Amino acid sequence: MSSVEHPLRKYLRPSVEATTFCPGCGDGTVLTSILQAIDELGMTMDDFVFVSGIGCAAWIISPNFNADVLHTTHGRPIAFATGIKLNLPEKKVMVVSGDGDLTAIGGNHLIHAARRNIEMVVICANNGIYGMTGGQVAPTTPREARTITTPYGSLENTFDISRMVQASGASFVARWTTYQPRQLTKSIKKAIQKKGFAFIEVISQCPVQFGAKTGAGSAVEMLEMYRKSSISVKKAVEMSPQEIEDKIVTGEFIDTAKPELCEEIARLKERIRGEG
Amino acid sequence: MPKVYILREACKGVVDCDICRFVCPKDVLGKSDMLNRKGYFPPEVVDEDACTQCGNCMVYCPDMAIVVEMRKAKKAAR
Ligand SMILES: Cc1ncc(C[n+]2csc(CCOP(=O)(O)OP(=O)(O)O)c2C)c(N)n1
Ligand code: SF4
Ligand SMILES: [Mg+2]
Repeated sequence: MSSVEHPLRKYLRPSVEATTFCPGCGDGTVLTSILQAIDELGMTMDDFVFVSGIGCAAWIISPNFNADVLHTTHGRPIAFATGIKLNLPEKKVMVVSGDGDLTAIGGNHLIHAARRNIEMVVICANNGIYGMTGGQVAPTTPREARTITTPYGSLENTFDISRMVQASGASFVARWTTYQPRQLTKSIKKAIQKKGFAFIEVISQCPVQFGAKTGAGSAVEMLEMYRKSSISVKKAVEMSPQEIEDKIVTGEFIDTAKPELCEEIARLKERIRGEG
Repeated sequence: MPKVYILREACKGVVDCDICRFVCPKDVLGKSDMLNRKGYFPPEVVDEDACTQCGNCMVYCPDMAIVVEMRKAKKAAR
């Protein structure tokens, strides 16, 4: 046994020997980026309550993080997180889950939490597929991609999750790929400090259910594709919709201050007490 | 401690993952011929002198299987 320990290992439960992810899965990079952000902010696991739904990405925080972690039902982590935040407003609440969980079965929770602008961090590991259940088409699957349920190619349009969350009213929205872990960590730090609904979409490789079946290839081939096709938000605004069609637009889309739900509730309580 | 340390038992192998070798700009890592207990071939350090301690392999590794003694944060680079 070695005496050298990874500096982020202290945030994991002692019982954790390995994550459940397949070799090369991007979800592990999301995991370390979250821990790196918490570490750089000098926060402790006691400052947080973590919430996940169902799917491979839901296993980023559960059962790994040595913290209060709630592994909830499919699509519902934001509903649970809303209840937690309203009752423990001093805690940082962070939801980590997949694209299917947060935008398909749980799509309405996402939209309305953003609209209410309740303070929480939601990190969506978007692998463009239902990974855990074997690679079925998702709302995030690229058009024409061949999956196990679309053997002739998907006929559907693809959700632009970040744009949807921004349009719904979130205070902070960013998108990065797993090829940009340092930028991702920086945005997670900002999201944690945000008074309001903060959303981060991470384009994450699933080499097993997405890569192998759609032809996108191995973990390394997918990372190379992310490297080649990512463009910054600033550059994207100068390009036509056709030009950015096959690109991954990355960066911070919005970072603004507006009334936050928990604070509004506290203010309302005070006002009513004053009147009574 | 060496500049790059591989936590062999945490690794899921260069056969299917290989992200560390992809992101290393200096080809510091090769493939070990020895399986770990889970049955994966971890990377091994083949050219430590070439390592610039940029930390890429450590930052990208999805399994916390690499520790790099980072260049002393001279100007707190990041
Ligand atoms: C109510 C309900 N419906 C369906 C399922 C089956 N199911 C489990 S995970 C999953 C998809 C998860 O996809 P995503 O959130 O993208 O996570 P990934 O595995 O890709 O990380 C589905 C449909 C379930 N567990 N519960
Ligand atoms: S099926 Fe895909 S998303 Fe799930 S752990 Fe494996 S590589 Fe990751
Ligand atoms: Mg998914």
